[in-house]
Amino acid sequence: MSGHGRARRWAVVTALVAVLLSLPAVVGALPADDADVPAAELRDAVLASAGVAFSGYAVSAGGLSLPVSDQLPAVADLLSDRTALRVWWRGPDEHRVDVVGAAGETGVHVDPGGTWTWEFESATARRAAPAALALPAPPDLVPATLGRRLLSEAADAELSRTGARRVAGRDALGLRLVPAAPAASVARVDVWVDAGTGLPLAVEVVADGATVPALDTRFLDLDLTAPPADVVGFTPPPGARVLPGEDPEGLLREAADRELSPVRLPAELAGLARREVAGAPATVGVYGSGVTLLAVAPLPGRLAARLRPSLAAAPGAVSDEVGTRIDAGPLGLVLVEPPRSGAYLLVGTVTADALAEAAAALAGAPS
Amino acid sequence: MTSVVVTRGLVKQYGRVRAVDGIDLDVRAGDVYGFLGANGSGKTTTVRVLLGLVLPTRGEVELLGGRMPRAGRRVLPRVGALVEGPAHHRHLSGAANLALLDAAGPGGRRRDRRRRIAEVLDQVGLGGVGRRPVGAYSLGMRQRLGLAGALLRRPELLVLDEPTNGLDPQGIHEVRELLLDLHRGGTTVFLSSHLLAEVEQLCTRVGVLDRGRLVLQDEMAALTAPTGATVVDTPAPERVRAVLDGRVLGTDGDRVVVRGADPAEVNALLVGAGVPVRGLALQRPTLEEVVLAAAGTSADRVERS
Amino acid sequence: MIGVELRKTFGRPRTWTTIAVLNALPVLVAVLLRVTDLAPRPGEGPPFLSAVLANGQLYPLAALAIVLPLFLPIAVAVVSGDAVAGEAQAGTLRYLLARPVGRTRLLVAKLVAVLAFVLVTVVVVAAVGWVVGQLLFDAQPVAAGTSVSGTSLTAEELAGRTLLAIGYVAVSMLGVAAFGLFFSTLTDSPLAAALGALAVLVTSSLLLTLDAASPIAPYLPTRYWLAFVDLFRDPVLWRDVVRGLALQGVYVGVLLAAAWANFTTKDVTS
Repeated sequence: MSGHGRARRWAVVTALVAVLLSLPAVVGALPADDADVPAAELRDAVLASAGVAFSGYAVSAGGLSLPVSDQLPAVADLLSDRTALRVWWRGPDEHRVDVVGAAGETGVHVDPGGTWTWEFESATARRAAPAALALPAPPDLVPATLGRRLLSEAADAELSRTGARRVAGRDALGLRLVPAAPAASVARVDVWVDAGTGLPLAVEVVADGATVPALDTRFLDLDLTAPPADVVGFTPPPGARVLPGEDPEGLLREAADRELSPVRLPAELAGLARREVAGAPATVGVYGSGVTLLAVAPLPGRLAARLRPSLAAAPGAVSDEVGTRIDAGPLGLVLVEPPRSGAYLLVGTVTADALAEAAAALAGAPS
Repeated sequence: MTSVVVTRGLVKQYGRVRAVDGIDLDVRAGDVYGFLGANGSGKTTTVRVLLGLVLPTRGEVELLGGRMPRAGRRVLPRVGALVEGPAHHRHLSGAANLALLDAAGPGGRRRDRRRRIAEVLDQVGLGGVGRRPVGAYSLGMRQRLGLAGALLRRPELLVLDEPTNGLDPQGIHEVRELLLDLHRGGTTVFLSSHLLAEVEQLCTRVGVLDRGRLVLQDEMAALTAPTGATVVDTPAPERVRAVLDGRVLGTDGDRVVVRGADPAEVNALLVGAGVPVRGLALQRPTLEEVVLAAAGTSADRVERS
Repeated sequence: MIGVELRKTFGRPRTWTTIAVLNALPVLVAVLLRVTDLAPRPGEGPPFLSAVLANGQLYPLAALAIVLPLFLPIAVAVVSGDAVAGEAQAGTLRYLLARPVGRTRLLVAKLVAVLAFVLVTVVVVAAVGWVVGQLLFDAQPVAAGTSVSGTSLTAEELAGRTLLAIGYVAVSMLGVAAFGLFFSTLTDSPLAAALGALAVLVTSSLLLTLDAASPIAPYLPTRYWLAFVDLFRDPVLWRDVVRGLALQGVYVGVLLAAAWANFTTKDVTS
């Protein structure tokens, strides 16, 4: 008698647990509606989506371990950690992105006149003018922004469609970019695009030979109504320290101009053509296009000597006659120190072979 | 006479061990029922099943006419219980413990709670104990407090498991008087004990448990009824044997057992023959003899197999 | 029955000793901060602690954040683990059930008593934190606060959100309480039940730091504990708060059901 009652009661509990456990799986398995949109058309929709207003919650997970955690901790965290982002987007020059931490947050408020960066723990607000060149910042990881950037130079032949999926409760159409350049270290970029607005909802960057994305950023919540202006804007609260922003552009130019004699960089490196980048100092060369890019910067000897041991100490670093090389997922980095000329730092999303080839070309090139 | 506690084919199995093995209890209203058994014979398990604490493997339990454990909410408020020693919150006073217990279940009216608590404390002899915490009580005081808890709602049925544990002789006597007093007031008492003397002095009905089985259940009067023989106390047993040849059932020192349920007749015969007689009595079996005859060896004895 | 359990819980000296000990740590931290003036570096230490030197009004939250990871769950585990097993060990359980008290009713009353303990504890910690904050640190002169997002909050907003945070921290403890109560019906040893609940918490906290466990992370009982910080963002980030409430609700539901299934069919032999 009692045995039956016991079995029945435990059966009720087991059934309850089973239902609760299966709920997430059921919700996750909701089918997504696909639409017959050609890849090129979908890319155009993405590139035209910068004006779509929305607010949302996104999570990005990076697998890039850059050896810059001492010099640029914020950048290193951004690319190697799980980052939770709150986004309020009214337009390309009016939006707010908060990096939400367990014990605080860093908010980036962009308005037409510049950028406010609020840091809660130190109660500091920094104001920076708009700049063409900047270090990676939280807004760059928002799926919408990143998707547009990665697809901006994609050729039709590089694109294909990959079905549909549900992202943040919306139907998202898959768009795959496989870079054509032989030097590319990115195997593919998958962008999941909101069927209605062209907004990229999720972006996965997969490196050559990897199975896990090196960078994966996606919306978990998305609301397509325009956020109010007072949420996006920023006024430093009473009691906060207000400082001018850091100026990476100025730092770069200063370092490049003051300590180095002008160098002439080749027009082509590792099969990638040199391109003009607005705002970059003349001494820094950028090669390639799309998601296959290589940047070359001459370094003052002192800086190179400081950088070398920290590079060599990084996991997976290779030191040979060409220089000190690191592969961090799709990102490669090499410090070249030719015997009779100044040092160069090469960074790019190119294969190790292409990086070595470029380094050899620079070392051998007459300066 | 209505039955207050009835079990039919009650079995409680723990793994492969049968603690209670097919018990058919029958306790009637107005009984002082002595539930006798050695330690480990299944007494406490049976008491727990009666109160709905342990669920039976098989069989039925009826308490005050309700099927347990389902009817517990209806019938248990009319039952007072003391199971395997008293238990209280040590940091609270006796009265506070009783108040908490009374408030916890149905049937404990709030209005007269203080009065009822004062009454039962007086009844068990703890009237003057004050606000001392139970942690500072002696074993006997705790036993009295446990008894007070069982009496708090004037129950129709008292289920008491070893109620005199830890009491001194005076205490045991007081409790016995209290139980007899309650019994006279109409309370049925179910007394589980391993003390033969206690049961013999108090009970009107006896059940004997041996290794999970009820080996005996009858009225005390029937169990200890005269056997039809007379015991003669004499300094000359051999002369008794000579006079009453053929009627002597046995001799034990100066005591001779003689067939015949009329001591006067035996006396007349012996005195007529000039045999000195110091005393004469009807032969009655003691409870101990009855129990030993019914039950086997002690349950905590472990024989080589 | 609920009233009886509340009287039992708050009538025993141990309850108040626990609450007092729980308050000792935030007070000690406050005194040390005041004496040394060394706030933890931004991003380190418990939430809000780096901000209290500037604004003492945040100390109730910092106090909660200090006791939340360890002290508070230990206290809740001990009290909830004691709920049924403590009565069983003392022997009073059999008298309660024979009184009779319905077993389901007893479980619910025990849960309510544990909840009341959690709520009282959290409120006391916040209140002591407030007093300490007022005494030892500078309250912001404009009687207003700054949200985590850098916007200004009026005194009413700050008070309202603090109340919400107190409620949320209390709810966060429900899962622990439910684990303790469930284990408490499995064993007659209150210590074993409390240790069981703590083992669950330690496991959960450990798994949260492990990347390999990320698929199950959203279902771990401690996953959303720190989400009370989200109440101080502007606009409030409800996402984790809502999930935290739902998760605790699920744990309480499932464990209470399991406790019920076990306890109502259990032989009470203590």
